[in-house]
Amino acid sequence: MKNDIIEIEQIISEAYTKIENSQNITLLNKISSEYLGKKSKLSKIIRALVKYPIDQRKEIALTANQAKNHIKNVIISKRQEILLNNVNNKYNTKQIDCSTTSLYFPFSRGSFHPIISTMEDIITIFKLLGFSIFEGNDIENDWYNFEALNIPQYHPARDIQDTFYIDEMKTKLLRTHTSAAQIHVMEEQSPPIQIIVPGRVYRNETQNTSHSSTFHQIEGLVVNKYVTFVDLKTIIKYFVHKFFERDLKIRFRPSYFQFTEPSAEVDIQCYFCDNTKCCSVCSNSGWIEILGCGMVHPNVFKSVNYDTYKYKGYAFGIGIERIAMIKYQIDDIRLFYANDLAFLQQF
Amino acid sequence: MKISYNFLKKFIDFNINPDKLVALMSSIGLEATFMSINNNYTNIVTAEIVNISKHPNADRLSLCKLSDGLKDYSIICGANNIKIGQIVPLAKIGAIVNKMKVKPIVIRGILSEGMICSKYELGLDVNKSHGILILDASTKIGLDFSNVIDNNDFLLNIEIPSNRGDCLNYIGLAREIGAKLHKSIKYPNIKMIKPKHNMSLNICIQSKLCYRYIGTVLSGIKISRSPEWLIEILNKSDIRSINNIVDITNYVMLETGQPLHAFDINSFKSSNIIIRNAIANETILTIENKQHVLDANDIVLSSNKDILSIAGIIGGKDSSVTEKTSSILLESAMFDAISIRKTSKKFNITSQASYRFERNGTDWNMIDFASWRAINLIIQITGAKIESQVDIKRKKFRQTKILLNLKKIDSVLGYHINKHDILQILKYLGIKILLTNSVTITCIIPSWRSDITENIDLIEEIARIHGYDNIPYAMIKRKPNHINANKSFLPDIVKDMRITLKCLGFHEVLNSSFAEIADLNKFHLDYFYKIINPISKENEVLRPSLLPSMYNNLLSNISHGIDSISLFEYGKTFNKYSENKKFAIIMYGKIWNEWWKWNDLNILPKYDFYFCGGIIKHILPLKDIDIVKNNIHKSYYHPDQVVSIFHHNKVVGHFGTLDPSITQHDHIQGDIFYCEINTDLIEYSTKTQILRYKQYSKFPFVKRDISIVANKSLKFFEIENVINDIIQTGNILKQYSIFSVYSNNKLLGNNKISYSIRLLYQNKNRTLTNKEVDEDVHNLLQKLDNNLGIKLRQS
Repeated sequence: MKNDIIEIEQIISEAYTKIENSQNITLLNKISSEYLGKKSKLSKIIRALVKYPIDQRKEIALTANQAKNHIKNVIISKRQEILLNNVNNKYNTKQIDCSTTSLYFPFSRGSFHPIISTMEDIITIFKLLGFSIFEGNDIENDWYNFEALNIPQYHPARDIQDTFYIDEMKTKLLRTHTSAAQIHVMEEQSPPIQIIVPGRVYRNETQNTSHSSTFHQIEGLVVNKYVTFVDLKTIIKYFVHKFFERDLKIRFRPSYFQFTEPSAEVDIQCYFCDNTKCCSVCSNSGWIEILGCGMVHPNVFKSVNYDTYKYKGYAFGIGIERIAMIKYQIDDIRLFYANDLAFLQQF
Repeated sequence: MKISYNFLKKFIDFNINPDKLVALMSSIGLEATFMSINNNYTNIVTAEIVNISKHPNADRLSLCKLSDGLKDYSIICGANNIKIGQIVPLAKIGAIVNKMKVKPIVIRGILSEGMICSKYELGLDVNKSHGILILDASTKIGLDFSNVIDNNDFLLNIEIPSNRGDCLNYIGLAREIGAKLHKSIKYPNIKMIKPKHNMSLNICIQSKLCYRYIGTVLSGIKISRSPEWLIEILNKSDIRSINNIVDITNYVMLETGQPLHAFDINSFKSSNIIIRNAIANETILTIENKQHVLDANDIVLSSNKDILSIAGIIGGKDSSVTEKTSSILLESAMFDAISIRKTSKKFNITSQASYRFERNGTDWNMIDFASWRAINLIIQITGAKIESQVDIKRKKFRQTKILLNLKKIDSVLGYHINKHDILQILKYLGIKILLTNSVTITCIIPSWRSDITENIDLIEEIARIHGYDNIPYAMIKRKPNHINANKSFLPDIVKDMRITLKCLGFHEVLNSSFAEIADLNKFHLDYFYKIINPISKENEVLRPSLLPSMYNNLLSNISHGIDSISLFEYGKTFNKYSENKKFAIIMYGKIWNEWWKWNDLNILPKYDFYFCGGIIKHILPLKDIDIVKNNIHKSYYHPDQVVSIFHHNKVVGHFGTLDPSITQHDHIQGDIFYCEINTDLIEYSTKTQILRYKQYSKFPFVKRDISIVANKSLKFFEIENVINDIIQTGNILKQYSIFSVYSNNKLLGNNKISYSIRLLYQNKNRTLTNKEVDEDVHNLLQKLDNNLGIKLRQS
């Protein structure tokens, strides 16, 4: 009996050494079956207990089972140690540089043109206000571009709109403003009208940092029975605040357009100097002009045979390049049409 | 119009500083700005000149010592109007003068620590020649210049709307300010003097376009330089001083808006002066030394056969006032605005007079006032005597009477202004109230306001003077839209293509709608609209295609050293019968950039026909689009590398390699690929294209790769047709892709080509067995052999 106890102790110490020296799970599994399995020495000792008297059996069995549990626990802890080591080894060998520069991507990023994006932004705002979209033609005649809009021939107001003509008789021309489309819409349908007209317009001017012979406008026209100057002011203010996403101060200044009366130009608080009046963008005035608007002139309604007593309307015209230049702080209008990748990539 | 702030005060009492005046004028629709070249007076202070000595190395320069009370400065100055003890504006180091930063500078061996400024340099004068600004002797030293500026004058530039010719003068502007400030204006005093009647002219109006003519004969004139005060006022409005007579006529015009003209009577061949329409081919040599040939649309002043002036526009050279002039005819008249404009446009002459006449800047009641004002000044300044005067009226002045409907004001503005305020506004605008009751006001419009003709004009006046900013905002009225409600600025197909292309690294461009003929010729393109009055070559014609400008975008970016360019544009082209929006794509160079993990540099492919074609196919809708080689005639493509894009059997676009013979000219290495699509012709809508979910199999694909050999003349789409046939009729072949194309005369034989195709098989309900897949592959190979003579590759 004593021999058995000594053997068990030997088995334990033998197993300890083996477990301690084993470095991988496979070996450990082998050790596990060697010492804990049915064919293990400990199992044999337990099976051989029958040769001892009952009172002695108990002691040996207890010692043998304790030994089994002991070895089992040591194996479990060794197993965890090995697993942990394996993982740590993996981390150590697979270390990579995660700095952003190494994450360079060989495909370049594309871009949308800022003018188209600006137009889409503006259109989205007005669509949500219930405006429909109308697109007119770029080639117009004198009636739609001037006469019907209360700009008779030989009126000095034509001076500021140098016109490109495409026939010798000067009847066909490139529209100088999207307002030309107002007349088409009103000729085609009766009130109520609530439209915006996005499109290209043309002025025969020398190009410089703020003038381009091709540029874009969005025209707005609302005609209904009860439409007032207060409505116009309200919608313009709403638009400005939505577009610039800021509660900018705005002011309405009386102005003169042939096709509206009363007419106004709208200034916003200078985006660059915040109305502190010390920058070149607003020429130290603290204000930047962004659009023109007004109540539709009765003569315009007369040219489309609308009842001037029954209907009133307002119209506005937004210069897209101008408003985009303000929003993106672009100082030269020609950049929009130069199409340099260095410029386009920024949008 | 440029005006002087101080001089304006002669016509109206007001106590507001220039800053506030600018704001006030803008608030009533006369946009005003400071005409300063420099309004930033930081680092400019008042300083006393304590010493002046000659610059040892330069005769014309002085060495000055200035003090601002704290420190002395040595300054080198070239002006000759400075004296010891004077107070002057000193720009210290760091100040901005004339858009330049003042820096310490060594002039001929001596350091200057700043500069003494002139009015011009301070932006207070347009004339450079007036020397240093000498401030009032009582001015304290060491003050910021901005604090003392009130003692000096300011130049304002006022933008006057084209319907407000009445504001093109001091009195007119004073009236506007008075309307806002509730103040009356001060007119200059005039004295009527009895003519002596020793000398007279027979003046007669024959033209219907001359409404009134006051002609005054003055004698005993001594022509000389004008007094300084007069020259200064003219200068401030950018009018050059000529001599005392011409200057007085211009000066009175600035005061009253009435253009005046003086003729030298000694140049007249006859005492009969006729205002008439010109006879065709009559000519005049103007004071600008230009010869003009006149016709019956032009109004002229004539004496015998001589044309003395183009009325209301410009005088003749021979009748102009010179040093020798001793007697003059002084003209104060009114001509038809449209006639003046036609003639001035025709001859391309814009004079101070024509500018005012064509804007109805003349006031019927001001014609004789201005005339007398000028006569008084001429007598006072030149010692002249008045000989005779005629006042001929071809037309009677008609007062405008308007019945202003009070309700209409509310209905236009959406806001109520009380009647008392309305009456005040009208009164200070010079509008007389004839009658008033609870619904209407009967208004008499003053003679200078020919722009006010109807109710809406009065409503604008009331709103303008009341102040737009005093009119409140309201809640937004949201009304449903009903017409073209679904229409959007960018069609759905364009929206989708833009997004896909942006994700593929393409950049959107915008080009002008114009083209140069030379650029079109390069691509053998015709134009349909030519601009008859282009300012430059860039605006010669309207573009018939997006290609020339996109090609130029490519060239300019290549010239910047960029070797990978892919652009797209959506815009209008102009063709014979219509304006069409087109969508175009241009591709050139490398597809992607080097990547540090791809060591092999051969992995940098360039755009080629197949890759670009793949992009085109990728961005177009899946359904109903076919890309087919047909023999389309587009002169700018490589004759063999061009395909058409079909939609419902209609050509909607084309794609191809640009003709290398064109691109070679511009020294471009490699091919350029271009595609133009008429998106209007493609039916596509994200809203109407209904997508339906199809059940998919959860069992794995079985893959088979086959390599087949075909004749080179066979088009791949014929092979595709056979495969697609099996996909549609059978039930296990689901997809195919081509992964290798290969030709080698030795291995495959002449004119043979090998395609390696990957076939994917799948069954909805179970895993496929090898046997049934092999049977299907066999079936396919058999069909390829039977239909097209294609064999499995043996190697």
